[in-house]
Amino acid sequence: MNISLNWLSTHLDLSGKSISEISDLFTFAGVEVEGIVTKGIASEKIVVAQIMEAVQHPDADKLKVTQVDAGEGQLRQIVCGAKNYKVGDKVPCCLPGAQLPGGFSIGETKMRGVESKGMLAAAEEIGLPKGEDGLLILPADSPIGVPVKSLFDSDTLLELEVTPNRPDLLSRRGMARELATLLKTPLISEKLPETSASAASPDFIRLEAADACPFYSATRIDGVKVGESPAWLKDRLASIGLRPINNLVDITNFVLHETGQPLHAFDAAKVTLPLVIRHAKDGEPFTALDESVHTLTPDDLLISDASGAALALAGIMGGLDSGVTESTSSILLEAAYFAPSGIRRSSRRTALSSDSSYRYERGADPQAVLPAAALAISLIESNATATQTAGELPSPPSPVALDLGKLHHLLGDSISTEAAEEILTRLGLAKHPDSKWAIPSFRQDLTRHIDLAEEITRVHGLANVPSRLRATFVPTSDVDAAYDADMILRRRLAALGLYECQTIKLISETQLADILPLRPMQDGDVIRVKSPLSEDHAIMRPSIIPGLVASAERNARQQAKSIRLFEMGRVFRNAGGGKALDQESDSLAILITGHSNPSSWAAKDRPADLYDAKAIFSALLPNQTISLKPKDRENFALGAEIKAEDQTIGVFARLSLQRERDLDFTSPVFVAEMDLGKLRKLISSKSQVEDLPQFPGSSRDAAMELPLATANAEIEATLAKAKEPLLVSYECFDLFTDPTGVKIPADRKSIAYRFQYRATERTLKAEEVDLAHKGILELLRTTDGLVFR
Amino acid sequence: MNEQIASIQSAALELIAAASDERSLDDARVAVLGKKGTLSLAGALIKDIPNEEKAAFGQSLNSARTAITAALEEKQNALQAIADAAALSGIDLTLPARAHPTGSLHPLTLIRDEAIQILRRMGFALADGPEIEDEYHCFDALNTPADHPARNEKDTFYFNSGKLLRTHTSSVQIRTMESSTPPIRIIAPGSAYRRDEIDATHLSVFNQLEGLFVDTDVTLPDLKGTLEYFLREMFGTSTEVRFRPHFFPFTEPSFEIDVKLQIKGQAPRWIEVAGCGMVDPAVFESINATRKDNALDPGKVTGFAFGMGLDRLAMIRWGIKDIRLLIENDVRFLKQFA
Repeated sequence: MNISLNWLSTHLDLSGKSISEISDLFTFAGVEVEGIVTKGIASEKIVVAQIMEAVQHPDADKLKVTQVDAGEGQLRQIVCGAKNYKVGDKVPCCLPGAQLPGGFSIGETKMRGVESKGMLAAAEEIGLPKGEDGLLILPADSPIGVPVKSLFDSDTLLELEVTPNRPDLLSRRGMARELATLLKTPLISEKLPETSASAASPDFIRLEAADACPFYSATRIDGVKVGESPAWLKDRLASIGLRPINNLVDITNFVLHETGQPLHAFDAAKVTLPLVIRHAKDGEPFTALDESVHTLTPDDLLISDASGAALALAGIMGGLDSGVTESTSSILLEAAYFAPSGIRRSSRRTALSSDSSYRYERGADPQAVLPAAALAISLIESNATATQTAGELPSPPSPVALDLGKLHHLLGDSISTEAAEEILTRLGLAKHPDSKWAIPSFRQDLTRHIDLAEEITRVHGLANVPSRLRATFVPTSDVDAAYDADMILRRRLAALGLYECQTIKLISETQLADILPLRPMQDGDVIRVKSPLSEDHAIMRPSIIPGLVASAERNARQQAKSIRLFEMGRVFRNAGGGKALDQESDSLAILITGHSNPSSWAAKDRPADLYDAKAIFSALLPNQTISLKPKDRENFALGAEIKAEDQTIGVFARLSLQRERDLDFTSPVFVAEMDLGKLRKLISSKSQVEDLPQFPGSSRDAAMELPLATANAEIEATLAKAKEPLLVSYECFDLFTDPTGVKIPADRKSIAYRFQYRATERTLKAEEVDLAHKGILELLRTTDGLVFR
Repeated sequence: MNEQIASIQSAALELIAAASDERSLDDARVAVLGKKGTLSLAGALIKDIPNEEKAAFGQSLNSARTAITAALEEKQNALQAIADAAALSGIDLTLPARAHPTGSLHPLTLIRDEAIQILRRMGFALADGPEIEDEYHCFDALNTPADHPARNEKDTFYFNSGKLLRTHTSSVQIRTMESSTPPIRIIAPGSAYRRDEIDATHLSVFNQLEGLFVDTDVTLPDLKGTLEYFLREMFGTSTEVRFRPHFFPFTEPSFEIDVKLQIKGQAPRWIEVAGCGMVDPAVFESINATRKDNALDPGKVTGFAFGMGLDRLAMIRWGIKDIRLLIENDVRFLKQFA
């Protein structure tokens, strides 16, 4: 809500208060000041000066050197380029130090070698509306030396955020009432005109929906002349950013902002009396004055007439055909109290909202209905007939008990009962003899003890409440354990040279091409947002990979040479083709592409390969044997399950080569997605330590030649069958291939293993080792196509 | 004889002096002190020497041996020194390092962890909840019924199932209170969603940290003390903190918290960092209705809750001007947190 300080000052004396004091006042009333806009001249250092002399600049055709009297006892020399003045004119003079709109600061300077101690200004240069070209010529009787701002109107516009529980602050009078309470100063508002109203005859108003509209009033005003509003009214509306339209519309707008009570004017000529306040029929059409077309439900409330025509969607917006036009001569002025929840529902359903619905849905003050109508009638200055009413104003809010024990507990005994009660009294509440508090009609939000306690706390201020430091011990949760495990994994990955990423959990349809969920998706497993803001953010990510691919792509475009990324977080999917809905789990994704290492003089650049990726997985879980088990994944190359011992912990793949080309990647992109739930268990599983070996072991090497296509896994599978108790470990330490077929046939490879033998209770003899090794070699020889070299 | 030994000694010393490396020095050692070395052979002559001269001969033999051994050792050291110097020469300490990949944690992780560490020291345990929520846990149970003006459906992502993406982590308050009994002292970091166009200050997916303390004697002084302590740990022990009255449907009284901070290149100013308040009794009532055991009897328990935007804290902490930097993952940005 915008509020003009000039307008507010018609209700409350704010003189002598700086903008920052006033801003603090709002802030501590619970109203956030979101912006402050000053209109008119801001700086005090722009003063009235008389031009005493103007001579040609010796070195510039278009400049004159002036001597001006700014009331300083001596003349001031200023170089000026304007042409519209004559010697003797009074003009605005910006003295050094003056701040101009746009952050300009005036200083002393030299222009083409001639000293210039300030600036003579045009209207728009000092924050006034643009006038004629050249300097602003001030009235001849303007006193020399006074700030120019004192000759012009200025105002300050505050942009305020009023919280939804305080509809009473959505008007000048309401805001002034609150500030007066906080400042302990009296209101200086003009009294609203006296109201007189009588019960309506059924020929004038027929109230058929008292549940949604407890109280309705209408006033017929004849002899209305629709035209331009008087200047004061246009200024008031303009001061809060509203466009003046015509006197009738402007008056209803003014009264709404002045009192908080929405009004509506119907062109009487377009209404067949009586006005009928009724629920809409199911499917009833309504065209609003913004020309939007709606299909209503019986929950919507209409102002209709005897013909059945819908004149307005009650409390929200008038109809297209019932409003005031330039030819209107008689009006029906509506002032009513509508039930807030009904207005809220209708407004939501139709997506129509207005300044009126904004106030009605939060709860307008029932006691303001008729005074607001009276104010409007007095401003319209035409032949008003008596206001007629139907229904009854809602009963005043029930009195509320204040539990003093709870209050003092809440506030840490920082306020006396008297001071607390004084605050409530200042806020317009009244203590009943039974010690309950009567609530004013404009504070419908106060219904419980805690609401009163809040008012007292707010005015008392939390600054006046003591601080207490006190903890209650609670046990560590499963979420704590998961968090700690995640942090360990994160730090390991960062230490391994990966950057942690954070991507948006909403992805696009096209990005689905990059998903690599732990279990493949079926139709119906993707979770789509109902009305996404854009196609880019339409789907809950079932996998983190698409986000990392996009991040890698962006980094590659920025010439990053070595890209190593990871992200941890929630992924979302249905399971079983939509049988199990909204499954959330935590996932770790890794992506590497580009050089294996940053470039260096000491080593040749090499594109990262899948063994670099595997190295990361192994280093992440150093106590686990990590392996990749090939398993094709749609849209990807080299798909595999990531295994820790026998447990599948994730999925690995390279982007399809076509996808890499499409995304302009120049080296392979390897990705992995792992089940964070499993990783947390694997890093947090503590095992007992093993005793260190007491006796030395011996190693034997074996170089084997076998078909290129035979996987290393076959050797490992064979070795897994070995029952040799002396064999404690083995490792592959060399691989050799020769595509030219010179050193070894091109379709064969040589692979070398080292075997470690040891007994726990003695040092092995060479013959024992040889015998054991011979057994292992015999076993290996069973592998298809394997020969020893 | 003595002259003979003297000449062996001087020849040996010449040989040692001429040795230019380990090998020639070793050759010299063998040539003089080896089994058939000049001094060893001369030593063997002692048996032919008259007894009365033996002592003198032995003496001069020994002194020759001592001198030669010393010379050998000295030469050995000198050669080693030369070799050591050679081993270190030509090494350019000023050449750049070999390349080792560096990585970093994301600034959001860093700020979240910092907040969690402080709050854990204060006895809070972590809690969690789903991001795809139902209206009940996101709105209704938080005292925001269907036609409440604070229920902002335009800004909420919905699904066809009627579920929604939680608009705040406050839903975790409800989830926790449904399943545990006081004392409850939890913090819940997590994502929240708003149907907002992404720009320099808004993300449609952002990160919050929620806190809740429910017990038999929780008061405004607890809320104030806890959050002042937290914010001073976060921003410095002398940080000014102020509580502005505000409105949240699920707390009453409610406040927004500002801290006075100086961001690089700006004058110190109040910056909003968190919202908080005392749990509204209506929230306890909703949970009791679900639990059916009145474990959160508003006549007996009170509580406070707070929430803050982690993205915002990160922006404040590091002077990040555009929130999109937090989701673009430009390595040039991330590197600064290594």
